[in-house]
Amino acid sequence: ISDQKPLGCWSVKHGQILTCPVVCNFETHEYIAVHDDKVLRIWKDEDINLDKAFKATLSADVYRIHSLPQGGPVVLFRGGGVRTLDVLLEAPQQEIENIISGEAIRWSGAFMEGQQPVLIFTTEKDGDFFVYIQKPKLSSLHRYKLEQQESAKPLCFTAHITNQTVTLLCLYSNDSVYHVLVPLQQDTEEEEEEEKEEILSKSLLLNLSVSGAVLKGTSLVVLDKDHVGVLGSLAAPGKKPTECLTIWNTKFQTLQTSKELPLGTSGQLWCYEEKFFLIHGKVLTVILYKCETSSLAAAVGKLKNSQTPDVSLFLNWNTLEDEELVVSFQSQESLALKAESRMNLRSRRSTVAGEQPAPLSVGQLLINYKNASAYVFENELKKVMARAPTPDLQATIGSVVTALTDRCKGNPKYYPTNFLQQIVENHELSYSLCPDLMAVALEKKDMPLLQMCLERFPDIPEEVTYTCLKAFLSISEAQLQSLDVNVDSVICYIDVELDDKDVKTEIVENGFSSEMDQDMCDTKIPEEMGFTRSRGESCPVGLQKAALLNAVLHSAYTETFLLPHLKNLPAQQAILFLRYLYYLYVKCSEKVNTTLPGIRSPTINQIMDWMCLLLDAQFTVMVMLPEAKELLSNLHKFVRAQVRFYSELNKIEGSLRELQRLNHLRESQTYSIEVLEII
Amino acid sequence: WHPSGSHIVAGSIDFFRVIDVASGQTVQRIMVNHQVEKAKRECVVWAIAFLSSGTVVTADSFGRVQFWDWEQGTLAESHTVSTSAALSLAVSEKEDSIVVGTSTGATYQLQLLPVKLGGLEKRWVRTKPFQFHSHDVRAVAHSSTALISGGLDAQLVIRPLMEKVQKKGYDAVLRKFTFPHRRLVSCARKARLLLFQFSQYLELWRLGSTEETGKDGEVLPLCRMPEHLVQLKSKGPEHIYCSCVSPCGTWVGYSTASRFQLYRVRCDGDGVSLRKVPKVPKMLPPAYQLQFSADSESLFVASARGCVHVFQLLEPGGCKHLHTLQPPSGCSEAVYLLAPSADGHWLAAVSGDWAIHIYNLKCFKHHCVVPTYDCAVSALAIHPSTNNLVIAYSDQQLLEFSIPEKQYTSWSRALQSWGLHRAWLERDSPITHITFNPKNPSHILLHDTYLLCILDKSLPLPDDSALLMNQSALKQLPETARKRQLHAFKICKKFQPLLFMDLLDENCLVVVERPIMDFKTQLPLPVQQKKFGT
Repeated sequence: ISDQKPLGCWSVKHGQILTCPVVCNFETHEYIAVHDDKVLRIWKDEDINLDKAFKATLSADVYRIHSLPQGGPVVLFRGGGVRTLDVLLEAPQQEIENIISGEAIRWSGAFMEGQQPVLIFTTEKDGDFFVYIQKPKLSSLHRYKLEQQESAKPLCFTAHITNQTVTLLCLYSNDSVYHVLVPLQQDTEEEEEEEKEEILSKSLLLNLSVSGAVLKGTSLVVLDKDHVGVLGSLAAPGKKPTECLTIWNTKFQTLQTSKELPLGTSGQLWCYEEKFFLIHGKVLTVILYKCETSSLAAAVGKLKNSQTPDVSLFLNWNTLEDEELVVSFQSQESLALKAESRMNLRSRRSTVAGEQPAPLSVGQLLINYKNASAYVFENELKKVMARAPTPDLQATIGSVVTALTDRCKGNPKYYPTNFLQQIVENHELSYSLCPDLMAVALEKKDMPLLQMCLERFPDIPEEVTYTCLKAFLSISEAQLQSLDVNVDSVICYIDVELDDKDVKTEIVENGFSSEMDQDMCDTKIPEEMGFTRSRGESCPVGLQKAALLNAVLHSAYTETFLLPHLKNLPAQQAILFLRYLYYLYVKCSEKVNTTLPGIRSPTINQIMDWMCLLLDAQFTVMVMLPEAKELLSNLHKFVRAQVRFYSELNKIEGSLRELQRLNHLRESQTYSIEVLEII
Repeated sequence: WHPSGSHIVAGSIDFFRVIDVASGQTVQRIMVNHQVEKAKRECVVWAIAFLSSGTVVTADSFGRVQFWDWEQGTLAESHTVSTSAALSLAVSEKEDSIVVGTSTGATYQLQLLPVKLGGLEKRWVRTKPFQFHSHDVRAVAHSSTALISGGLDAQLVIRPLMEKVQKKGYDAVLRKFTFPHRRLVSCARKARLLLFQFSQYLELWRLGSTEETGKDGEVLPLCRMPEHLVQLKSKGPEHIYCSCVSPCGTWVGYSTASRFQLYRVRCDGDGVSLRKVPKVPKMLPPAYQLQFSADSESLFVASARGCVHVFQLLEPGGCKHLHTLQPPSGCSEAVYLLAPSADGHWLAAVSGDWAIHIYNLKCFKHHCVVPTYDCAVSALAIHPSTNNLVIAYSDQQLLEFSIPEKQYTSWSRALQSWGLHRAWLERDSPITHITFNPKNPSHILLHDTYLLCILDKSLPLPDDSALLMNQSALKQLPETARKRQLHAFKICKKFQPLLFMDLLDENCLVVVERPIMDFKTQLPLPVQQKKFGT
């Protein structure tokens, strides 16, 4: 969302219809979709083609799949049957019982209660509403009837679980929110009372009306214990109803805030991690919200803090260059064709999910899976890493990476780039833990991984650092364009539009002004000067390459060990690198505090150290090369200007000090006898 | 206190309490930091106020000023006035304006203003920011026409509220005060010693001397350097409240909030010995002002309830309580200024109610009261030869009262009917010390922070058209022409800021300056600042 960029897009074949919302299994990072009611599809981020993903045809229609953070996905069937996905995949064609006859499921929700997944769903039959609570692992089932409400029926449900009790909130068609408490009974008591139909009583929680205007709600979400969010249309007498998103305080029965949505919505509202998601017009809108601790002052809007629960931000998917997502709301079918034609297919890996083995020691496990298929192998390694943090977790991960790199070396076609990046990104690794990783990455030209390693590993040998530098300098810009290099460290200071002359009007704050430049090179003619300036100001390398070089600048090294390697750097590359360092130095000096903006951007000391090191290593070559001459002379002039500037500053500081001292001297003449004549 | 006196509110760390005065019990305890995300930091309620409406106003270390309904325990309004701590708080009498001091040296005014023009609903709005201090503003006060703030940068600032000031005048100008309006230096005339009072210690110096003379403005070579004789540190954390050295220079006394100490100083040759006088009579509370008699044989101690204790000083180093002088009608305020006469006959004492009582020291009897004048007395002294009491008031008025005749002198009446010069009346620092020239009875020497003045009663008084500070003009005139230009106020502004001035003998004046930069440079930086360059 923050990048407003789709990370992945999959589509079913023409003629197939997705029949329930796709969920993500948080444990395995697999996506689960159902199309044509019965066909289950499971796939991963890397899989491009949905048609080739794992497929299982079930014996009954699926109503919905719920994914629970610790409990795995749970499948609810149209007939009210519930299975965990694991159980279902063991025998996809198993028979699913029908426990609701003639009732239609209106809503369902799932929670974890301790280690148990709990599924709650509501059904309707002839105007009567029923609530079911199922625990699939214990195969327990409860059925309740919802107390009738005259001339109104529930439109929308939402529920949350606290202290063994499910609180069900129902939005009724009479513009009120009721809440119903559903007990989670212990399984022992349940047997005797199963026959009797229990009626759940409800109580009014909130009336959605404010000063004459009534909110016709369509969706309801619970935000915290005192706040609910309602999407609906606000109808004031004599006014055109407008759709709006509202936050209500249930404790004080007040409307906390509202936001008009003039383009209309789909009537659906989701809420995850303090963000609302809704479809506004043709775009998916994300709205941050924040609920204050409920106090009377806040409820009546007297809280004069800036943190009032307010709609503060929304991201507009319309700004995407890629039109796919916007289109997807209009026509799913057209997208399916487009996406298929656009995406290049990558080789499919294994489709069979491995059985869960008993925990083995890491070494054993690695030996066991040495010859397993890549998919199984990776899955197993992920399981190993997902184990609870143990004291030897680092070593475990180290051996996992070693296992991976060994496999890469054995099989030239195998290279799990995403997996390796994930490991490096998420774990505190070091070079000595997995010495082969960078070598493999260098061989495979995996620049993003190398960048990550350089930024994270504290103990990279100078030789490897040098090899990386060489690789970075030699790779062509065109090749880099296709790689996913993290450019955070450069994006803030590099002038992307190099051709745009207007960019150069930036005010030079420190040191290097044109007057001073003139002063420095008294013999040069103006045209030549203009040329040298433009050389200094435009970045000699592309964005990606600059980011990679910054990673090298950031790595730790010892001069004596690095110097011999640097001597081997080809002259053209050395000049390019020096040119980039010079560019960085000029950029740094533009700012008063001599630091570059951005995350992980190199510091002036790092730049200077590398510049000195490079000049030391390549001095004779630089002197000989005609193309280096101009660069060196520019660099020399600039450094001289900087030195003069700072020496002037120091002079000023010295003078100020002296003034202060003189002042003090005069004052320190603390005692005197003077002649004073008063007439 | 709640204005009705029914409740007390007490600020603490992370919360404040409301205490019922009748029962003595805490009736409400309100957490102040529950809304802060960085709740790990503790929130100190530095200042608190209780409005008559029942609203509690707190100023806390998060820089917030918050308004609480103490009965409901709810926060009504919260204003973050500063990124650093809000340290002090004062409410105007009408409770429609609040002044807040912060640790960055800024002060802010909050006003209760209607939300809509003419509407009934009112809210507190931060209206005026002021930055007159460089350091913590530890104390603020709200008068009907001005905001008053005192900071750790050793300044007291009075900022007039222009909308409350009707006419241009003294009240309409920003005032800054650096020194307390008290005597911090005392002088032993005969021994030529100066006693400097610091917050935790005293320093006794012997003045240097010269044998040369010269022309106006010349600096003379010293034949003897000034000599630091003794540094006397007060024990404990208490600040020294007042101190005095006897005219003979052998007695030094000082008082803190709880203790009064008397020392005997002996200088023989190069050595200086200091001995504490044992068994000094205990007084509670101790002295507000100390004054030795001209003959150094008795000590007057200004005390609470209008009392002045008279001690007899005994050789070689003792003291005995002789008498306690008290106004016959009683007095609830403490005495803060004393002036004994040179002949040891009279003592004038000023108490906090601004009444000046004159006692006869021969028979320890109350002699008379100077007619009350509705203004604080800033300095007073008794003329050595005429026993006329000269009084300086904080509104810059000068009066001369004859003690033997119990009435204002004719010169004083003439001065009153003539009126003081406008430039004199518009000064913003009060006269803090008065002394006389024994050789020239018509001279009265006065000083404030910015000038010293020899008031020559034999000369005509200046009118508003004349130049008050005419010394430099006079110096340019030939001697014959000066006569017509002379007037009674001979003012010298050469020494600033002036802490103390006294006449040692006919030709010798001692002046103590305290350059503001001296202590300003010793203050730590309020905010750490970066230096340029690498």
